[in-house]
Amino acid sequence: MTTDPAGLERHHEPPYLADVQVPARARVPGLALRIRVPGRKVQRLLAVAVLAMGLGITAATTVGLLSANHDRYALDAAPARAPAPQGQWAAAPSEAAAQRVPAPVFLTIPAIGVRTRLIRLGLTRSGALQVPRTTAVAGWYSDSPRPGAIGSAVIGGHVDSYVGPGIFFRLRLLHRGDRIYVRQANGRLAVFRVNAVRRYLKARFPTSEVYGPAPTAQLRLITCGGTFDPARGSYLSNVIVYATLTT
Amino acid sequence: MTHRARVRRISRLLAACAMTLAMLTVAAPALASAATPAMPATPATLTGWLRLANLSPGAPAFDIYLYPVGNMDARLVLRDISYGMVSGYEAVPAGGYTVAMRRAGQPASSLPVLSSTISVGAGHAYTIASMGPSSAPRLELLNDTLTTPKGKGLVRIIQASLHQSRVTVTADGHVLVRDLASGSATSYAAVTPRTWNVRASGETMSATDRDTWAADTSYTLVVLDGAGHLELDCLTDGAASKVQPAGGAAMGFGGTAPRPDLSPRWLAGMAGGGLLAAAGALWLRRTRPVI
Repeated sequence: MTTDPAGLERHHEPPYLADVQVPARARVPGLALRIRVPGRKVQRLLAVAVLAMGLGITAATTVGLLSANHDRYALDAAPARAPAPQGQWAAAPSEAAAQRVPAPVFLTIPAIGVRTRLIRLGLTRSGALQVPRTTAVAGWYSDSPRPGAIGSAVIGGHVDSYVGPGIFFRLRLLHRGDRIYVRQANGRLAVFRVNAVRRYLKARFPTSEVYGPAPTAQLRLITCGGTFDPARGSYLSNVIVYATLTT
Repeated sequence: MTHRARVRRISRLLAACAMTLAMLTVAAPALASAATPAMPATPATLTGWLRLANLSPGAPAFDIYLYPVGNMDARLVLRDISYGMVSGYEAVPAGGYTVAMRRAGQPASSLPVLSSTISVGAGHAYTIASMGPSSAPRLELLNDTLTTPKGKGLVRIIQASLHQSRVTVTADGHVLVRDLASGSATSYAAVTPRTWNVRASGETMSATDRDTWAADTSYTLVVLDGAGHLELDCLTDGAASKVQPAGGAAMGFGGTAPRPDLSPRWLAGMAGGGLLAAAGALWLRRTRPVI
């Protein structure tokens, strides 16, 4: 013990006085722990890193949410088949040229389980193809040739309603060679075979291939497909099935 | 470069990265919807149509062969086509073809009675007929018109009679063609769509027929020799929709369209990321360098 008055003063000095002048070091009172607080520049770097990480996580989860679309109506399950209708087949159009082919009344597509009566479709006020009021029936465009007559008969149906599948939900699953039966008003059947199933952006709808002239008896089935645009409330594409009368 | 400048530079870089990520987040749905409908752009129909006929009065029945040019294997063989028979249209890929007609029952290796080469254009239709007397038949290639004037029908006449060397054809008294010579054909003429009383008359013989000609449909009227009289045969060449609707069809309401999966894990991730970003921003603000 020193008796020097100056030494007494020194005795009461905290032993880490020199450290106090460096603000980067602090003492946590009550704990026998010392935490070294990093410098401002390092803190800023860390802050930027945290900010970037936060933004990154937000972006990644948002992309994840948008891409992880869940498809409640996945088409994997084997579609219910419908039995092929029974009845006498309609005559080839060249033989029937003298008398008019009867109007279509019923459509059966066994491969995808479609069985529906056919309503008549006209045009909307803007000149587009009218669509059936309900999504449970298909319609024949009555300004197109009758199914079984020479030319391309056009039948349209909804792919879905606001809540679930429509009559042509599985249309895109048709394959080349699948049969399509159209019952005519006289009870006879016009039987078609699928040539192709194609999808087109509505902006590039193949008008002449669907509604244009054809020298043989053809059938075109139309529904929606592709990406759904929630803003417009409509699909961006049309799915078209091309079929030819078989005799 | 001072330490501070380096820190500023790095933070600017990181901020740019963060901005890019944020923009990607916003743009992701647009990108996704732009990528999905990338479907194969299907070319227009690359097929044409052919129909084959025997319109040589007195000629024997033919077996008609259709060969793609440069190919010895027939794509199509129609057997026993006798005078007055016209096949239905066959869809064939556009390109060159050889048509050969042999006496019915003759082997495919035998020399054909008639043969000719034709070029089939995509979307076009053709009638190939043997025409003229059986002593000097020839193959005639006719271009068939499928597209009609709006709201009209189209009619063309083939004079395939030898009984009458010249035939005049009328519809309800209107002359469609006057004195059409044997073995020749008219071009298409527009007609008002309705039922017509059609009459073909030569010097000594005639035939009548009631034909309904529809709008947007084209027809070929063939004048044939019957047993001691003329016959009329009306063929439908092609038909189209009376009015072509504009654009695509609105056949769906989106009830089955895949939609975003709003499961809690994604939302929790987004919230956590947001909080973390906010904390980082706050920290950055608190440690702002004092100048």
